[in-house]
Amino acid sequence: MCDFSGKLVAWTDRELPDDEAADVEQHVPGCSECRTRVDAYREVSRAFVAHCDAAMRETTRLRLPHWVPVLASAAAAAVLLLMFRPTPVKQIPVVSRRADAAPAIVLETAPRPVKKVHRRYAVVPTKPAATVWEATVPAIRIAIPAEAMFPPGAVPEGITFIADVSVAADGSVQGLRLQQ
Amino acid sequence: MSGDSLPLPLPLPRFATDSCEATTLYRELRKPLLRYMVCLGLSSDEAQDVVQDAFLGLHRHLASGGSQENIRSWLFRVAHNGARNRQHSYERRFGTQLDPELDSISGEASPEQAVLEKEKLRRLRKAIGSLTESERECLLLRSGGLRYREIGEVLGLSTSTVGDTVERAIKKLAEKCNV
Repeated sequence: MCDFSGKLVAWTDRELPDDEAADVEQHVPGCSECRTRVDAYREVSRAFVAHCDAAMRETTRLRLPHWVPVLASAAAAAVLLLMFRPTPVKQIPVVSRRADAAPAIVLETAPRPVKKVHRRYAVVPTKPAATVWEATVPAIRIAIPAEAMFPPGAVPEGITFIADVSVAADGSVQGLRLQQ
Repeated sequence: MSGDSLPLPLPLPRFATDSCEATTLYRELRKPLLRYMVCLGLSSDEAQDVVQDAFLGLHRHLASGGSQENIRSWLFRVAHNGARNRQHSYERRFGTQLDPELDSISGEASPEQAVLEKEKLRRLRKAIGSLTESERECLLLRSGGLRYREIGEVLGLSTSTVGDTVERAIKKLAEKCNV
């Protein structure tokens, strides 16, 4: 086996120090064994990369949503907006009672004491009414102009993002994902 | 005292620099990171989550004045550790995931060529399956464009160990594929 065989992979990867790389470079053209090995290493490296690319294509066949990490602040802002958004307050009309209005209840006779009736089987077990659960999918879309959040040039022009926010029943934010 | 006042050192310039830096890195490294995650065995959704977390971490890192040196290996290391934390899917082996029918065999190839290509692919997959975890990770990071030094920083290995591992892995593949 050629003495240079242990340096060929590092040489093809340009990882050898300059002096050693120069030695290998001078040696390989005149050594058929090393040339064959170098060709084989390059071919198998290409095949490995192609295999990785195929794995990537296969796994991400469905279109991946894009996002930009610099919008972390936008995400935080979206969460804050959600948490502190003004909730509509229901106004209850105030009714002033007139002095001459009739009382709500007029009793002709004094109320009698309530007679207690003891029944052995008074309580009939009843099934609780079936609760109808409805799946609620919160769909809240918040638009924050990029220029309001970031200095010029920080976000590429023409890119907008959608923040998908999952909100729990108590109003807290459960999850957030940015999508382009 | 004169009316001139010193301008307050607003953090905006630094923020802009960091954001641009993060955006550039995002454009450059998002795909290689996703590819690395997918090849480690993560699903598409898991890979996206891990990579998203890595970039959010990068944003925080830069915003808090963290070092900008070796940022590529920093990102890959964070993503690598994120993948490690998803052990349930990490256990899936890279070499056994793909359906050979779905691989990149050209539709224009003749039947003989297609058979040969499939046979080569089968041998390659078998060879990849025979690599150790460390060898596979080194090759994956190498195919993502990382230098040996950076691979060492991601995996916690010395540069010389990475060199030995890559060489061993490539020789194994070449031998088993009969290239």
